Amino acid sequence: MAAGLALTLGALIALGQVDSTSRLVLNGSAVEYLFPEQVTVAAGKASDVVLHFRITQGLHINSHTPKDEYLIPTTFSIPDGLGVKLEEASYPAGTEFALPADPATKLSVYTDEFVIQARIVAEPGNHLVEAKLHFQACDKNVCYPPKTIPVAIDVIGN
Amino acid sequence: MILSTFAWAGWANFEYRKQAAERLLAAAAKGELVVDAATGAEKYESPLTGKAAPAFELEDLSGNKVSLASYKGKAVLVNFWATWCAPCKIETPWLVELRNQYAAQGFEILGISTESDGVGKDDQAAWDKDKAAIAKSVQQMHMPYPVLIDGDSISQQYGGLDELPTSFFLDRNGTVVAAQLGLTSKSDIESNIKKALGN
Repeated sequence: MAAGLALTLGALIALGQVDSTSRLVLNGSAVEYLFPEQVTVAAGKASDVVLHFRITQGLHINSHTPKDEYLIPTTFSIPDGLGVKLEEASYPAGTEFALPADPATKLSVYTDEFVIQARIVAEPGNHLVEAKLHFQACDKNVCYPPKTIPVAIDVIGN
Repeated sequence: MILSTFAWAGWANFEYRKQAAERLLAAAAKGELVVDAATGAEKYESPLTGKAAPAFELEDLSGNKVSLASYKGKAVLVNFWATWCAPCKIETPWLVELRNQYAAQGFEILGISTESDGVGKDDQAAWDKDKAAIAKSVQQMHMPYPVLIDGDSISQQYGGLDELPTSFFLDRNGTVVAAQLGLTSKSDIESNIKKALGN
């Protein structure tokens, strides 16, 4: 019986039918900035800061290097004029993921938690930086519009 | 100084009221996923079902104005999609096949690109880039039906379009007879096309 159900499910997926169970209703942002809230770095020197993010369960976002030219990469930025300059951002490699209706097409995505390593140079003083994370999230069946969330970090340059 | 302050306050008040009205409009048209008591499967129910589809006039990729009203007498599938939407790319070949299969019976698809990236015509370079990406995508996927741009400008009337793909199936009188949210299946789409055609 169980084997029969599994076979039927496999056949449905092969025919382009889609698992419609447990579709997520997204009320907030698909991605949440976790920490650090505050960092202390040497003023005027390049310093690496590791930023932690969490993606809502059941969703994925494109990695920084998606495999399709049309897909929107995840990018981190710090606006000019905040006393902190982003020299470089290092992103994790994405994990391969395929939508159930198209197992042959592999996407490069982030799921669960991921980190971005930001190399920053801070001017002397205390800077309340509102950096930005730009991403575009999907689940197995739908995609949500691209979004930019604030990444608030208190950067102290000593 | 005082006059400019009043002018600014008036403009801010207008914008606030406009945005509030748009939110109300979107909320009124927003559908929801419900569990079908008979099958246990989730299905999308739109408050637009049974009502006249909201009218619109959008540009196609050549700059021609295309209105929904001009398709009266045909069954129409209004399909909101985006170039960055992977499920939309899975669905599109199904739509192309179904359009070609049912066109002779008076069926047409209007593909409405909804990039939702905040780019408006005031940023001409970004607008042109979006348009070029849409045109390339249309060409690569051999979409034979009209593709219209700036779906964001009509998204509120269609429930906000927070998720893509979203489709509305209209009968020959322009009444919404079914709606679909997300990637379902070719057979589900075909079943709704038949409903729109009155088969």
